[in-house]
Formats: sequence, structure tokens, C-alpha cells
Amino acid sequence: MNKGDFILKAEGIYKSYRMGATDVKVLKGVDLDVKEGEYVAIVGASGSGKSTLLHILGALDRPDKGAVAFNGRDLSRYGGSELNRFRNKMVGFVFQFYHLLDELNVLENVYLPTMVLRGVFGWISCRRKAEKRALELLEQLGLGERANHKPYQLSGGERQRVAIGRALMNEPGILLADEPTGNLDSATGNGILKVFEELNQAGQTIVMVSHDERVAHRAGRIVTLTDGKIRRT
Amino acid sequence: MKRRIAYFAVFAVALCVFIVFVVMTVMTGLVRDFRRKNHRFTGDCIVSTESLVGFTHYEDFMKILEQQEFVEGVSAAIKSYALVTPRGAEENYGLEMMGIDPALHSIATGFGLTLHHRKDDVAKAFAPVYDPNLPGFVVGIDRWLERGPEGKYPYHSRPDRRALAVTCFPLTAKGALAKVGAGLVNTKTFYFSDTSHSGLARVDTSMIYLSFEEAQMLCGMGEPVKRANAIHIKFKPDVKLERGCERVASLWRNFKQEKADQKYADLLERVTVQSWKNNRRVFIAAMEKEQTMMTVMFVLVGITTVFIVFVVCYMIISHKSKDIGILKSIGVSNANVMLLFFGFAFLVGFLGSAIGTVGGWQFLVHINGIEKWLYDRFEFQPLWDRTIFAIDEIPNTIDYKVLGIIVLSAIAACLAGALLPCRKAAKQRPVEILQVSQL
Repeated sequence: MNKGDFILKAEGIYKSYRMGATDVKVLKGVDLDVKEGEYVAIVGASGSGKSTLLHILGALDRPDKGAVAFNGRDLSRYGGSELNRFRNKMVGFVFQFYHLLDELNVLENVYLPTMVLRGVFGWISCRRKAEKRALELLEQLGLGERANHKPYQLSGGERQRVAIGRALMNEPGILLADEPTGNLDSATGNGILKVFEELNQAGQTIVMVSHDERVAHRAGRIVTLTDGKIRRT
Repeated sequence: MKRRIAYFAVFAVALCVFIVFVVMTVMTGLVRDFRRKNHRFTGDCIVSTESLVGFTHYEDFMKILEQQEFVEGVSAAIKSYALVTPRGAEENYGLEMMGIDPALHSIATGFGLTLHHRKDDVAKAFAPVYDPNLPGFVVGIDRWLERGPEGKYPYHSRPDRRALAVTCFPLTAKGALAKVGAGLVNTKTFYFSDTSHSGLARVDTSMIYLSFEEAQMLCGMGEPVKRANAIHIKFKPDVKLERGCERVASLWRNFKQEKADQKYADLLERVTVQSWKNNRRVFIAAMEKEQTMMTVMFVLVGITTVFIVFVVCYMIISHKSKDIGILKSIGVSNANVMLLFFGFAFLVGFLGSAIGTVGGWQFLVHINGIEKWLYDRFEFQPLWDRTIFAIDEIPNTIDYKVLGIIVLSAIAACLAGALLPCRKAAKQRPVEILQVSQL
């Protein structure tokens, strides 16, 4: 695939939720193309469906209608195990609330996706390599000294960087970030955005969701989600 | 497993395994011991009649049995009731009476093992050591000696010289009183020779053994035709009980046909051939029923374990929803989520079983010591008052089969308890969990 090809392509995405007796239509025909190496920010008001769209792009959720293609292949045609592999290998998620496993230390949290990828027996053979890669990522993210700490011993910014490390562990094609600075103060948030910029400069495709225009402006391209549709690209 | 609740689950399983292991071992031991004692008392097979009149031609049948390659020992017995009067006393009491040849009976049954003074010279069981020429008797130990609180009997180094007058009502072969008009009864004085400790409460409290000939005479079964009430048979070690009993039954049927035209052949019609298990079923069944009831109770304990593990897994999964969402977001499959929690349940079951087994094992090894200590220190016998119950020691022999069943059941119960929570965990949709978590 050449730089400039679409790595992710969403066409006519519809999604609604049942809330009591009401059917809330969140996405009403969203079209979105993401090229390889792009850094796209999806902005919109709270409840506009940004996170829902991101979850659909990352195959955490299925659209009611429409299709998402990754590297030209329709995700709806993926079987259960293919979807699991897609979530594990092709995309990396960064959540607003970090979502680290409290009982694992920083290093374990980072190499967890490789453990899942390799399985019990595969993990035995690749453990050293995976630990080395996880430590490199942590060094890169400025957390080399924190590898054996538990998540509760870290600040918010540090936790988010661990989450980024975990998302990057299996070298995914695309990084999906849902309000990655939403739970951080301005200075710490800037640090995270700087990490994203560096990753993007290194060639990482990133799709980030934010309600904050200033955060979104750090991305290469901004798309705005209003009333369930992309208004401006 | 680092959560405190997981330790509670392990502890709960360990406690259940401990209780079931200890009680089942003791209960199984008691039943096994009781069966063994009954087997020892009866021999492998018994040809007998419930009629006090007995049956004829027993000597002929014994000869046939002795010629069989599968038979190791044969012993005829007289079984009746006797009125016993201690010499010099006014009062008397009724006892079950058994007339046997002690040497033969010790081959066919475990009689010789129950003796104290004549254990090594069974043939002289009815010859008092202080005067072998006197007619002796062997009596159930609980009729003669008072058991101490530790279950021990105060044996004397030499038997005492007490004598008993034994009185029987002799019966004719037709079942009528044989000595009508001549005092009705036969009485003879016997001298204490030995005690018999069969371990069976009823036998040890109410049985007096006399020599076969003396008992036959007292019961009027020596003339005009010789009669006995039972033939005890022991099979060779490699003979299966059922097969041996079938062969004896077949021999008996043929024997009965051969004797059909002889005098008193009708007495043979009332004779049955039974294995020791069937013969003693009335006594054993009650204990086996108790064991069955105990097993049912432990099934309830097992259900409690399932419920405990269910609650623990449910609570853990409820608390771990976010983690499940995270794992699914990085590609963990439903099957692996289920496996993860099944693994947890297995670990709870395995660790709980291991702890319960080790604890139970240690407790069982020291159970008699603990009981002795409780008695010495507090005069407290928590299980059985040894002055009342015919139990020497609390059975504590580990039955590995029972232990294996308990451990496997505990692990299976944990997996069963985890089944629904595991399904719930596997079915959780990551997007819902993570969105809710964010809220």
C-alpha cells in the first residue's frame, strides 16, 4: 500500500440506540476516508456520536447500516476470530480513561496485546522479545523507569502514555484515540498530543476524537460531526 | 486471585472439602469396619435355617463341601437361646447361645481372632486354662467385662473361675418340647474359659459360646437324629463370593433332592444358602443407609459450594466488567474470556481442594490423639462414648478413591458454579462496558 491509499473507509454509516421507548439516531449516514499516515481529528459536541463512530471504525461496535473497510476489506465480512485479530493487530485503542488493568504493572499492561496475539504457548517463545519491545516503547514514551509500577502509582498523563504504549505494541495500522486528553490538565494533554504528533511524523495513522477544537487543531485534518453526519472535511 | 473475595472462595471450598473428607472417611471407615466384623463373624457363606429345630444330615453335606476345591473351611453351629444363672446367684438372664467346634469355626470364620486367652490355641477355647478338664464357655466380652472410657477392657492375666449354669429347652425334630414331663429343660454348669470380642455390639453383649456337642445336647439336637442350625463356609481366597455361594446353593439343591425320601427331609426345605452380605443385611443395611443419607447431605454441601463459587464469580465478574471490556478491545475472544474465568474457578477449586485435603489429612491422622487429649483434659468424648459404643478407635484410614471423588467433585462444583457468570462475562459487549465505565 502506498502512502495516500485509504487505510480506512466508512460509507453510509447509520447507528441508533434504544433509550426507553425512544430510538435515538446517533449516526445518520457518515462517510469518512482515512489515508495511510494521516492524522485525522473528529470533533463534535458531546453526544454527537464521535465515540460511537470511533468504536465502529475499530470494530468494537457494528453499524446498523453502511460499511467500514480496512485496507479495502469490508469489516462486516470478518468472522469472530478475524475481528478479534483485527482489534488486536490492526488497530490500537486509546481511551479517555486509559482503561489499564489495575492488577498488572506498566510493562505487563503494555505487552498484554502480544500475549493475547500469541496465546499461551506462543507467548512462552516470544516473551523476551515482547518484553524488549514493550520496554523500548516505554523508553520512547518517557516511562522507562516506571515499568514495574502499578497504574495507581502513575499520574493521569503517565497512565495515558502507558495506554498509548499498549495500543502501539502490536504495531497496528491505525491508532484510534477517544478523547485522549479529555481527562488530563492542559500541560499534560499537550504532552500526549506531542506524542501523537511524533508518532504521526513517524508514519503512524491516527484517528482522534475530541470535543475540543484546540486539541483537534493539532491533527492534520479535522472532520466535524454534527447531527449524525460529517459536515466539513 | 489477588482479590480478598478470591481467598474467601478458596477458604469456603477448602472448608467444604475438609468437612466432607473427614466425615466421609470416618463414616466409610465405620461402615467398612462394621462390614469386616460381620464378614469375620459369619464367614463367606452360610447354610442355615431360622428354625430352632435345625436341620438334619448336616454332617453329610459338610463332607460334600469339604471335598470341593473352592472351599477352605466348614463349621457346623448350633444356634439357640439359653437361660444363664451365675453360680451362687439368684438372678438369671437370657443369652443367645452358639455351639461350635472352635478349631473348625476359626477356619470358617474369624472366631479365633476374637479370643483373648486362647487366641493362639483356638482348639482349646472351651478348656479353661486353670483346669482344662472342666467344660468351658466363651462369652461375649461386653457381657463379662466393663469397657473403660478409652474403649479398653480390663483383662485379667488369668481368667477368673466364675461358673454359669446354662439352661436350654430341648426341642424335638417336630418342634415340640422334648422333655415334657421330665422338667422340660436341660441344664449344665460351664466354667469361664475366654471372652470373644467380635466388635459387634449385639454379639458381644448377648452371646455365649459352648462346644458343639454340649450345645447339641442341651438343645436336644443330638438324638434321635443329629441336627444343627447352620453351616458356616469359608471359600478359598481366589473364589468370588457370588460364584462361591452359587456353587454351594447348587450343591445344596442336589443334596436336598438326594435326601428327599429320608426321614426329617422336610427340615431341609427351610434351609437357605446365603452370602455373608445377605445374611447380615439387616444389620449392615442400617449403617449403609446412614452412609447414603450422609452422602445426600454432602451433595447439599456440594450445592452450597456451587452457590458460593457462583456468587464469588458473579461478584468478581461484576467488578471486572471494565477489564473484560479492555481485554475484548485488544482482541481477546469470548472463548478466552470464558476460559479465563473458568481458569479462575478451577484454581479456586484446586487450591481449595488441596488445602482442604491437607487439612483433613492432618486432622484424620491426629483424630484419635485429639479425641484422647480432649478426654484426658476435659473428660469430653465428642464422637462416641466408649463405655457405650463398640468402637475402639475412630476410623481414619484414607480411602483414596473417596478422596479422589471429593476433590474432583469440588473442582467440578467450582466449574459448575462459574458456568453462568462465565457465560455472562463472555457475552458482554466491550463497547457497552467501556462506555458505561466512562460514565
